[in-house]
Amino acid sequence: MKYIAKELRRHLYRTLGGISGYTLASFFVLIILSISGSNKSGSTGILQNTGTHLVVYIPTDKSSCKSDLVKGAVIAEGMNTLMLDIDLLYTIEKIAGVKDAAPYLRYEMYHDDYEKYISIGGIDTTSLATFTSVCAPSNIVDGRFLSRLDNEILAEEAFTKAHGLTVGDTLKIFNGRKVLTGIVNSGIKPAKADFYATIGNVRYLLQENLQCQAPGFDMNIVLVEVEDPRVQDHVIGEIRSLMHNFSVSTFMCYEPAYKVMNMINKTSSGLSLMIFIFLVLFSAKTQLTAIFERYREIGILKSLGWSDSRISMQIISISVIQATIGLVIGFILGVVVINLLNNQNLMLFDYIEFRFKYSFIPIVFLLSVTGALIASMFPIYRIFRTKAGDIFNRYM
Amino acid sequence: MAIEDLNRIVCESLTKEYASRRQTTKVLSGINLTIEGNEMVLIKGRSGSGKTTLLHLMGGLIRPTSGKVKIGRFTVSELPNHELCTLLSDNIGFIFQNFNLMPTYSIYENIEIALAPKGYDNRETKKIIEPLLEEFGLTEKSSTLPSELSIGQQQKVAVVRTIAKKPSVIFADEPTGSVDPETADEIIQYLKKLRKENRSTIVIATHGSFPEEQADRTILLENGSVRV
Ligand SMILES: Nc1ncnc2c1ncn2[C@@H]1O[C@H](COP(=O)(O)OP(=O)(O)O)[C@@H](O)[C@H]1O
Ligand SMILES: [Mg+2]
Repeated sequence: MKYIAKELRRHLYRTLGGISGYTLASFFVLIILSISGSNKSGSTGILQNTGTHLVVYIPTDKSSCKSDLVKGAVIAEGMNTLMLDIDLLYTIEKIAGVKDAAPYLRYEMYHDDYEKYISIGGIDTTSLATFTSVCAPSNIVDGRFLSRLDNEILAEEAFTKAHGLTVGDTLKIFNGRKVLTGIVNSGIKPAKADFYATIGNVRYLLQENLQCQAPGFDMNIVLVEVEDPRVQDHVIGEIRSLMHNFSVSTFMCYEPAYKVMNMINKTSSGLSLMIFIFLVLFSAKTQLTAIFERYREIGILKSLGWSDSRISMQIISISVIQATIGLVIGFILGVVVINLLNNQNLMLFDYIEFRFKYSFIPIVFLLSVTGALIASMFPIYRIFRTKAGDIFNRYM
Repeated sequence: MAIEDLNRIVCESLTKEYASRRQTTKVLSGINLTIEGNEMVLIKGRSGSGKTTLLHLMGGLIRPTSGKVKIGRFTVSELPNHELCTLLSDNIGFIFQNFNLMPTYSIYENIEIALAPKGYDNRETKKIIEPLLEEFGLTEKSSTLPSELSIGQQQKVAVVRTIAKKPSVIFADEPTGSVDPETADEIIQYLKKLRKENRSTIVIATHGSFPEEQADRTILLENGSVRV
């Protein structure tokens, strides 16, 4: 034991070299583990904007919600749709894997003033599914989001720019008067419209102002937020089984996002394995170079009657001590870096959350010590095999 | 068994070849030799004649190509590792031609490691080492590294390390080859003392620096064979 401490101190550079090897290896293993460990939470992070959202509707060849006053219909993704009953919303909300579901009533009509079809979306202003698929309070670029007042309306920024609208304007629109309370830029969202109002207001507008006729005057679209991209296929299947003619659209980034998740899963386990191999090789290499330097000294010890097992124990201990010190440093470094990456929200890692778990400690420790043991195997094998005199002959 | 028998060294048709990829060099061919217990024998030969090889063979540090080496009742050349290890720690002492000191260990530690396998505690170790350092004038060098000593001093350390455990068989490879006459005499006298007090067998390899009259017998090594 006394000589182990001596060895470590005497060969300071060799020791430091060994330790730094284990430090690096533990550090990287920890980082990799923390990425794969955060997959669940990572997924919502990644997919908040990319495709845990579904747009559910029933396409049809006839226009529903026809009005005698204007040319218009309820439209989803350019298709005529049937009106849906609110019960469907409750059924969908109960499907496992569904985080949130919201009703959406989207109407398009030809407007003479604008000389084009304009659309209005009736939204549930408090629902997450609305925010992710249609528009959210955070998308406001001017004015404010909808309150409960029945004459309020929001407009997409592009539309207001095209037609010179500003906040506060009173618009004669959809056969009524509406005040433009806010302008939104909702970006890439699957179910946008030119104007938004509360779903209650839009129902009223369709019934009273435009005198549309449609059964079950609730909504024509259900917006669905899925908990995790990996259950998305399951949720889609469940929804389809409710009614065979449902069209379930997903946000276009759904596929890649899905793949990204699997990629991270695969890469992280692959990387962990690679790092483990690297750790073993690296430490085997340090052990070996140390052994060649030490070979003569081992020969001397053997010639003085030191037993093979005693010398081997020394080598193993040195190796394990280095691994342990390296591990501790690597761990501290890793935890610090993980915190930095998470806190500073570096752009690069915006969508990956590094998550430290205490269960990593035994894993990395085991990897490290296994590496150290494997690394000591080869020199120890040689010690047992080689006679002291042959060591002198060969390494002098 | 008398101690003379325990410390008797017998070589039977001892042959050693060094094989490399290109060629095999036969260094020793069929050596038959008996060194009695408590004898002090010189093995003399020109450099390259195989003295070191013979010593290492006798002490079990290398394996013969053929033939046997026996020390007392042990067949050293066929002994399993762990038994050989005990023999090396308790009974056999080597003074190497190139000293084989541990470069990163102090003088004291270099001697200490020879006693370590015997399981002495620190105090006992100290009680053995300090008088010896004193006797060889190395007390002040106790904590210095071998590289800071003169060749003569390193030779003395090598001697002290070997005799500290009072081995019953000592193989000394050119122990006086690189020291001044006074130091050589010191070493010779100590080996003789050990021989007398400890009844050790002492085998000394030399190319000529060791005075023949100090030994009981001189064995000449020539062309891989012995001439008595
Ligand atoms: N490991 C080895 N491989 C090949 N040849 C060796 C080896 N060790 C010694 N020899 C050769 O064996 C011969 C005897 O060497 P050695 O025993 O050291 O002689 P001495 O000690 O008498 O000078 C020399 O010719 C030397 O070159
Ligand atoms: Mg020699």
